[in-house]
Amino acid sequence: MTTQVRRTTLLAFIGPAVFALLIVGIVPLFYAVWKSLHYFNLTKIAQQRFVGLENYLFVLTDSVFWQAMGRTALLFILSVPVQIAIGLTIALVLHRPGMTLFKTLTRLALVLPMATTYAVVGLLAQVMLNQKYGVINQMLGWLGVDAINFIGDPTNAFIAVVIWDIWQWTPFVALVLLAGLATVPPEIEEAAQLETRSPWIVLRHVQLPYLIPSLVAVLILRTADTLKLFDMPFTMTRGGPGAATEFIAVLIERVGNRQFDIGLASAQSIIMLIVTIVLARLYIRFFYREVR
Amino acid sequence: MKTKLQVSALALAASAAFAAGGQANAWTLEEAAKPYAGTELEVLFLDRPGYNAAIKMLPEFEAATGIKVNYTTVPYENALGEQVRDFVAGGDLDIALIDLVWIGNFAENGWIEPLDKFTGDAALADPDLDMADFFPLVLNAFGGWNNVIYGLPFDNYSGLMFYNSCMLKDAGFDKPPETWADLKDVYGPALTKDGKYAYALQSKRNETQSADSFARMLWPFGGSFLNAEFKSNLNSPESQAGLQFRQDLMQYMPEGIVAFDHAETVNALAQGDVAMITEWSAFYSTLASPDTSKLGDCLAVAPEPKGPAGRKPALGGFSLAVATQADDAEKAAGYLFIQWVTSKANAGRYLEMGGVPARQSAYADPALAETYKFIPALVESWKEGVPEFRPRFAEWPAITEIVQEWGTKMMLGEVSTEEGAKTIGEKMEAVLAEAGYYDGKKPLAQ
Repeated sequence: MTTQVRRTTLLAFIGPAVFALLIVGIVPLFYAVWKSLHYFNLTKIAQQRFVGLENYLFVLTDSVFWQAMGRTALLFILSVPVQIAIGLTIALVLHRPGMTLFKTLTRLALVLPMATTYAVVGLLAQVMLNQKYGVINQMLGWLGVDAINFIGDPTNAFIAVVIWDIWQWTPFVALVLLAGLATVPPEIEEAAQLETRSPWIVLRHVQLPYLIPSLVAVLILRTADTLKLFDMPFTMTRGGPGAATEFIAVLIERVGNRQFDIGLASAQSIIMLIVTIVLARLYIRFFYREVR
Repeated sequence: MKTKLQVSALALAASAAFAAGGQANAWTLEEAAKPYAGTELEVLFLDRPGYNAAIKMLPEFEAATGIKVNYTTVPYENALGEQVRDFVAGGDLDIALIDLVWIGNFAENGWIEPLDKFTGDAALADPDLDMADFFPLVLNAFGGWNNVIYGLPFDNYSGLMFYNSCMLKDAGFDKPPETWADLKDVYGPALTKDGKYAYALQSKRNETQSADSFARMLWPFGGSFLNAEFKSNLNSPESQAGLQFRQDLMQYMPEGIVAFDHAETVNALAQGDVAMITEWSAFYSTLASPDTSKLGDCLAVAPEPKGPAGRKPALGGFSLAVATQADDAEKAAGYLFIQWVTSKANAGRYLEMGGVPARQSAYADPALAETYKFIPALVESWKEGVPEFRPRFAEWPAITEIVQEWGTKMMLGEVSTEEGAKTIGEKMEAVLAEAGYYDGKKPLAQ
């Protein structure tokens, strides 16, 4: 038996959500697109003018923008595979039967890094990695290792951001994959374990197909998060030393909030949005189809 | 000369208004504020000693006037953005807090009122305002733009040399270096040993890099950001000498100096890890306090060393000005607050509570130097500084970002001083061209 829901009822339920989305998402997006077509600097309001695609042309030919994009891509390439590898390991351990209390405590502990405010994570890193007074160098000293200049050296600072990102987001990946493992029918898993003693074969042929949607979700969310990564590197290194940790979101904030060039920053943001959408579509097309 | 004329004109205007009022002798803050009782003022403050001193003094002002001052404390890094957005949006701020490098920006955008609008009003102007009592350099640099005074100096700094006299004595020195060359060639080798360093120059990639590190090495060597035609002067022999000197001096600084902000640098001296730093006068209280410093009696203060072109120490600080977006009552009330908090009468208390007034009369008592060791050096610095230590025009926010990035790259050796200066120069000139300095649309004022 099917029940016909009245159009007004549908509107009453969906309408507020659509309206809220319009106000907080779509309208600002269109405003940003509009502003990206203008020379619009907050400190030079009188010079505001329509410039067409000039801001986009500038961004697309700006080496600073593409260097920041490259840095962001490198961060993603270095951190996300490690997060998936460690996260999957944690998820598989927590998926095993037994040790209920230990697993409950571990799940709780996993939430902590994610729940910590990004800016605080960056500030913690700044303090803990301080060459002279930081606890990390103090511990390295106990092992006879000389103090490392984590924040003041371009390569070390980049590596520090990668490690900090892995620390903060591996638990998220672990929890998402753990939820994915919960979707594997137990009888299939048990049958597979009777067929083979190799956990790798069970993972590859039984669990992994069920994990694909979770992995795609992880890839999409981590891609968007990495492209948006701002608070942690800003409070930790402020994009430095030099431009070593100036990721794309840090660059856009600098252009928009410190140089007050809202038009240019809007164009950068729109291009970043397009990149994010294209990548998300590619993930869905190439990874998710296996499940479909 | 312009400064003197400016100050004299303001002083005359204030005196004339005062005389014309006929009731000048009767002027009191309470009477002047009566029409504005109940007015609420909005202003941004920073978490620094000068603001904490003003906060302690506020209840007295509020009790006398019935004017309520609502302050919001923000980090320095956010203060410009917060105010720009507020002024563009026609927000709530009634008083502008102006770093000296923001004054051109605020004045050209018409966000702040010229001071003579109030000093010419006998009902508002305190007969004891005495504009000539402000250090002329400080008044002109912090509160003036294009020969008009907008703000009164409130939170005032000069770069000073703070040093550990005990470390210097142990190394055989009974006084700090008189010149930058001495610091590098004589004091540097003698004091850099056993995990300790002779000197630390805060150079983190923010305003610290451009103001405290980059500019500090330009001026004493005869360099500057711009020449008379407003073209880059960074590749001149003098500017290059200063920038190369900074590179050479790094061997006597702690590793990772490009990650040092004020806190790390002050702490390095306070904990006895470096022998000398050049920092803002505002950090005196941090270094003098046993809660935050191990220095004790070893703390000593001197003016910054001299270069071939003279001392030319770092100059920085904030003025307060009335915002144009305020309504008439708020403007009048705002002026009364600014006049009161920067007044000659309050300068002594402001100093006692941790602030640094820009009133010459506040430092007239030689005995004060016993209590506040920084005073003689500060007074000397305010006589030798350059107002355009950092250009104060509206384009500085864009230019400082360029200097921060490439100045740090120079220090890291990623580019040579010539290459870095060339890149900064090209980008800086592009910003200035866009602003209209090269086609006569804007006067060459910095």
